[in-house]
Amino acid sequence: MLTVKHLNFNYPKSRSVLQSINLDFTAGNIYGLFGKNGEGKSTLLKIMSGLLFPKHGSCSLDGYEMRKRDVQSLQHIFLVPEDFELPALSIRSFEKVQSCFYPLFSKTQFYQLIEEFQLSPNNIISKLSFGQKKKVLIAFGIATNTKLLLMDEPTNGLDIPSKSQFRKVMASVVDENKCIVISTHQVRDLHSLINHVVVLDNGRIAFDQSLDKVSDGLWFGKQPSNDTMEPIYSESSFGGKAIVPRLDKNETEVDLELLFNGILGAPDKIKEVMNQTQQNERV
Amino acid sequence: MKEFSLLRVGQFIRRDITIYKSTFVVGLLVGVVLVFLFCALNMMWDQQLSMDEFFGVFGLIYIPMGVLFTFVIFKEFNNTSANQLYLTIPISIPERLIAKWLTVTVIYTVVYSVLAVMTGILALLFGVVIRGVDFDVPSLFSIQYWNVLKVYFLVQPLFLVGAIAFRKNRIGKTLLSLGILVLGFMLFNFFLFGIFNHDYGLFSGDPIVSEAFDATSLYFSSLGRWFYGILLGPLLLIVAYFKMKEKEV
Repeated sequence: MLTVKHLNFNYPKSRSVLQSINLDFTAGNIYGLFGKNGEGKSTLLKIMSGLLFPKHGSCSLDGYEMRKRDVQSLQHIFLVPEDFELPALSIRSFEKVQSCFYPLFSKTQFYQLIEEFQLSPNNIISKLSFGQKKKVLIAFGIATNTKLLLMDEPTNGLDIPSKSQFRKVMASVVDENKCIVISTHQVRDLHSLINHVVVLDNGRIAFDQSLDKVSDGLWFGKQPSNDTMEPIYSESSFGGKAIVPRLDKNETEVDLELLFNGILGAPDKIKEVMNQTQQNERV
Repeated sequence: MKEFSLLRVGQFIRRDITIYKSTFVVGLLVGVVLVFLFCALNMMWDQQLSMDEFFGVFGLIYIPMGVLFTFVIFKEFNNTSANQLYLTIPISIPERLIAKWLTVTVIYTVVYSVLAVMTGILALLFGVVIRGVDFDVPSLFSIQYWNVLKVYFLVQPLFLVGAIAFRKNRIGKTLLSLGILVLGFMLFNFFLFGIFNHDYGLFSGDPIVSEAFDATSLYFSSLGRWFYGILLGPLLLIVAYFKMKEKEV
């Protein structure tokens, strides 16, 4: 669906933000794009939606270069930016003037989501809180039914009940024709939602694996005292939780926060174990 | 999927008008009030409102307000919080540009002209009743009207480019650029005049020089009109197209 090839990017008179990025986003997946602050997550999403142009390499959606911002490509992509400003209209008027550009837009779905987010179509957007405005935009983005939905820090500004509501809504909208990419530094917010992890570190892809493969290769939890295996990564702040090679252990739920810290703390070890797992699978 | 669709152009015009409806309405109301006041004041002076006077007042409000609307309609384009959503709307750059241009030229002109002429007639009726002025109805088929429109259609693309090109202090920077451009053209024309007329000694301080300048402007006026009137506007719209194409957030 969306392919990023040998992508390099830097802002004018600035160090390189993204280097040699190769990614392939496919339908039917929810990708979690993680990274520390300033690692280029938002920049990558902007390049993916044609708002920034790569310095080298390419980014294309079904063969259409995103930098050209062709109608063919823009009709299949929707970006929920981290920081945005919506027109001072009622939610209903906003839907009327904006939805006509998206051929697969579903009014029913939009108003259902608006109701689910406890908003009214008559609400004036400019009078809503930032979190409520974000809900309007998330609802609109979902209702566009674009093949690719990009979300930059979607849970920023949402209160705790809204975050779980967001997870519930997102889990219900994914289907085999749709690809969702959610960028965040709040890893916990995407718990049980994503099925693929991409981690950016120092402007490069530090990790790009499906959660199935992560579960196959890694074990997350508190190591029993009689387990002599050296952990790949452990952290006392997680109550002694550690990442160890799974080998013959039972499958555990992937602890995204621990995985993220492990990727940044012991990238080589994690890569080695993941490569080993993939080789074993092939054999 | 076509890259140009009149339907999308129409939808985009409707979007802009809906979003900026209150700004347009307030602006037009201010314009109507000013037209009425200026016309009324003008009639107090000499008990008449000639076509030249009316369209003088018309242009005084029409051109600056059109320029302001041009900057308003491109507000989202350079606003860092709004342009991410704006630039990802599935509409091609030619459609976007044509929709904007039609809104602030054709639609604005039609709406403002109708309102201004109606206001002018109202002011005339007011003048007839109060001061017994001559009832000379302003006509949209008069040469004065079309001359004002010509000026607007000539300068508007320049402000359109300014509204796209500059992120901050857009009006000031555009006016500054316009000043520099006019100065540049004047120097260019002056040098051309000097090159072609140097052998005739036209820089000698002789009174004939001013006559020569007048004659030159007369003889070259049709060429100038072609260049500035026919070529400059579309050229600036092409510049606007490439500025929009290159736009990054």
